[in-house]
Amino acid sequence: MNWRLRVVHTTGYRYATAVTQSYNEARLTPRHDDRQNLMVARLETVPAARAYKYTDYWGTEVNSFDLHTPHTELKVIAASVVETSDQTPPSAEVTWVQLKSPEVLDTYAEYLEWTSYVPKHRELSTVARSLRRGSTPEETVLAVSKWVHDTLKYQRGTTGVHSSAVDAWQAGEGVCQDYAHLTLAMLRAVGVPSRYVSGYLHTKPDAAVGEKVVGESHAWVEAWTGEWWGFDPTNDISIGHRHVWVATGRDYADVSPLKGIYSGDAATAIEVTVDMTRLA
Amino acid sequence: MSRASSRQLFDGYLDPRRPHAEAYDEMFDPVDGVRTAYKRLHDSLQPLQPADLTTRSEALDRALVDQGITFSLSGEERPFPLDLVPRVITASEWSRLERGVVQRVRALEAFLADIYGEQQIVADGVLPRRLITSCEHFHRQAAGIAPPNGVRIHVAGIDVVRDEQGDFRVLEDNLRSPSGVSYVMENRRTMARVFPDLFAKHRVRAVGDYAVHLLRSLRAAAPGVTDPNVVVLTPGVYNSAYFEHSLLARQMGVELVEGRDLLARNNVIYLRTTEGEQRVDVVYRRIDDEFLDPVQFVPDSVLGVAGLVNAARAGNVVIANAIGNGVGDDKLIYTYLPEILKYYLGETPLLPNVDTYRCWLPAEQAEVLDRLDELVTKPVEGSGGYGIVFGPDASPKELQAQRRRIRANPRGWIAQPVVQLSTVPTKVGERLQPRHVDLRPFAVNDGEDVFVLPGGLTRVAIPEGSLIVNSSQGGGSKDTWVLAPRASGEDAELRGPGLATAAVKPDRTATPEQGPELNVAQQQQQ
Repeated sequence: MNWRLRVVHTTGYRYATAVTQSYNEARLTPRHDDRQNLMVARLETVPAARAYKYTDYWGTEVNSFDLHTPHTELKVIAASVVETSDQTPPSAEVTWVQLKSPEVLDTYAEYLEWTSYVPKHRELSTVARSLRRGSTPEETVLAVSKWVHDTLKYQRGTTGVHSSAVDAWQAGEGVCQDYAHLTLAMLRAVGVPSRYVSGYLHTKPDAAVGEKVVGESHAWVEAWTGEWWGFDPTNDISIGHRHVWVATGRDYADVSPLKGIYSGDAATAIEVTVDMTRLA
Repeated sequence: MSRASSRQLFDGYLDPRRPHAEAYDEMFDPVDGVRTAYKRLHDSLQPLQPADLTTRSEALDRALVDQGITFSLSGEERPFPLDLVPRVITASEWSRLERGVVQRVRALEAFLADIYGEQQIVADGVLPRRLITSCEHFHRQAAGIAPPNGVRIHVAGIDVVRDEQGDFRVLEDNLRSPSGVSYVMENRRTMARVFPDLFAKHRVRAVGDYAVHLLRSLRAAAPGVTDPNVVVLTPGVYNSAYFEHSLLARQMGVELVEGRDLLARNNVIYLRTTEGEQRVDVVYRRIDDEFLDPVQFVPDSVLGVAGLVNAARAGNVVIANAIGNGVGDDKLIYTYLPEILKYYLGETPLLPNVDTYRCWLPAEQAEVLDRLDELVTKPVEGSGGYGIVFGPDASPKELQAQRRRIRANPRGWIAQPVVQLSTVPTKVGERLQPRHVDLRPFAVNDGEDVFVLPGGLTRVAIPEGSLIVNSSQGGGSKDTWVLAPRASGEDAELRGPGLATAAVKPDRTATPEQGPELNVAQQQQQ
C-alpha cells in the first residue's frame, strides 16, 4: 500500500524567564529511500530564525539555528509531505556464523556497541540468548521485539528522556524510545547489529484521504541480518506505510529531534503535537 | 686543575653498574669518548668547579622564578626545573629528524582529511573500520567539516626518543593541543642569560621566532579574508598551560580570550570588545574538544563557545587545531602509521615507531599478558604519563590488576618494550650524571610548508634510572640546541653584533630574528 502523508510536527520549549540566547539543532526532516520519498520539507521557528542546514555523520539532515532576541517560548514547526510504502520483507538472510565473521563485526561495529542508553546487562542478555535458541537471526529479531512488547507496559511519565533500556525494563513500563532501546540492548547481546530509528507513526490504519489524525513522534529499530530492515516493538508491527522515518543512529543521542543550549532558567518542553494527514 | 675538576664533575659518569647501562649516552661514546656534537660543550664544562656549577644552577632557578615559569603538579604550582646542561643535536641529525617529522605531519593531515570525509582508507580495506569508530577521540561531530586551506594540524608535537643505537624513534604524536613550546623559548632565554659564554662557542639555531611561524600558519588558515582576525582561546588562568597561552598571544600580537568573550551569531564568531563586536576568523584554541562547544559536546561546559562548531562547518571560522584530531594521535592508530604513510604518500617511515604490541589483536594480547613483567603498558588515550605501568617495576599484585584492565578493555591498551631512552649529562647534586631524556619537536603547518622549530622540548627524568620524563611526573627540562650547519646562513642565538666574540664569522646572509627579550639579555651581558 502506498500513502502520501503530510506531517506537521510542532515542538519546542517554554522558559521560566526570558531567554536572550539559544542555540539549537533540529533533526526533523524525513529521509529518502526506496520505501519513502520526501516530496517537500520546511522548518519554521517562532521567534523566526535563519536555519543552517547540514548533513551529519549518520546522514541525517540537521537544521541548526540560533536566537538572540529575548523570548520565553521557542516553537519549532517541521512540516513535510512524504510518500510511503510498506517494507518488503528482508530477502537476504545471514546465519549466526556469518554474523560473527570479522567482516560483519568490523562493518557494523557501531551497531553492536554498548552505549549509555543501550548498556550491557547480564540478565537481559540471558533472556536474549534464550530467545535466540533454535531461531534464525531474523526470527530472533521478531521474537525479541515481541518479548519487549509483552514485557513493557506503554506508560508515559515513568521514564524520561535520559532513561536507559535497563531503567525501562526495571520499571516495567516506558514509551517508544524505551521499547526501542530495550530491543537494541537484547539484539546486540546476541550479536545482531541493530540501530535506533526516529520518525513518525500515523495512528489510524483506516484513515480516509484528507482526514487529519493525531500522529506520534515515534521510534523503532532496524536490524541487520544480511540487509537492514525495521520492526516496531512498541506496537509489535512491521514497518509500513504509516511509518515515516527521519534518522537512524546507535541510540536516541545520535538522532535527538531537538536539542539546544540556552542562557536562562529551567525550560519545560511545550506540548508536542504531530498532525498527520493522509493526502493520497 | 681542570683535569681534577673534570673528574669531579663527571666522576663515575659511565659507571657500568648504573641502571639501563645499555642506553645511548649523547655526550659520551663508551669507546671513543666525547662525541663530536658535545666536544665544545664538554670542553667548556670541564674547567668548571662543582661550586661554579651550583652558582650557575642557582642563577638558572632564580631566572626561572623571576620569569614566572611554573607548571602544575597535582594541583600545585612549581617552577619547571631547567637543567643547566643543554642537549645538543647536530645539523645532520636534525635534518633527518626534521624530514621525518614533516613526513609524519603530512601523512596525518591526509589521514584526518580522509577520516572526516570519505573514509577511503577504510573502504579500501587498509584499516579496519572498527579501529576508527572505537577511538574515543573520533568525533562524529567533525564529519564533513572541511577547513578552507585543508589544514587540521596547525601545530603538532611529535614525541621522539633515541634508542640504544642512538636512532630517533617516534614515541607518540600529539595533534590536539600540544603544549610546551613556551618552555622551549623561555629555557633558551634563561640559558642565554646565564651561559652567554656557551652560546658564543656554538652556532645554536634560534627558537625565539616560533610565534612568527604560528601566526603565519593561523593567518593562512583563515577563510578567504585579507586581514584575518586571530584569537587565542584559553580555558583561563587556572589552566596549567595558561602561561603559554598568554605568551603566545602576546608574541603574536593577538587577543587572548576566554569562551565568554566570544559569541556565535548566525554561524559567525564575534569577539566582544569595549568598542563593540569584532569578527573572528581563526580561533587558536587551547581547550579540549569536549569543552569547546556545549551544543555539540559536554552541554554544561562554560569554557567553550556555543555554536562554534557549526560556524566552522559553515566555513566562517577556522578552529585550530581542528576538532577530532585525537583520532590521529591515538596510540593504537599510531601502530598503523606505516600503513597510513604508504597509503597516502607511498612512502616508508623516515622515523620508525617504537615497537608496539596491540592488545586488541588476540595474538599480540596473549604475548603482552605473557610478558607483562618486562613490558611497559600504556593507555591509548593517555597523556602526561598517567596510567602507564612499567612491568619491571610493578609488583605481582599490580601486574594482576593490569592484566584484568587489559582483558576488560583490550582496545584501551598498547604495550612496548622498555625503551632505554638516551641519556644526557644532568646536574645531580654537585656532579653531572646520565639522565634519560625525550624530545618534543614542534611542527607548524601553514598548508604549504611544514615548519619544524629547530629545537624542541627536551624533558629529562630526574630520579636515577627513571624513564618517565613527563613534567606531571616530576621531570625537568633542558635547553635543546640544534647546531647550525657549518658555513650556513642559519640564524644563531646571540650572534648579534653586540656580542664580540672571536668565533663570530660574518657568513650569515639573514639577520637574526631575536625577540626583544633576547636583546635585553644581550645588554645584561655587556
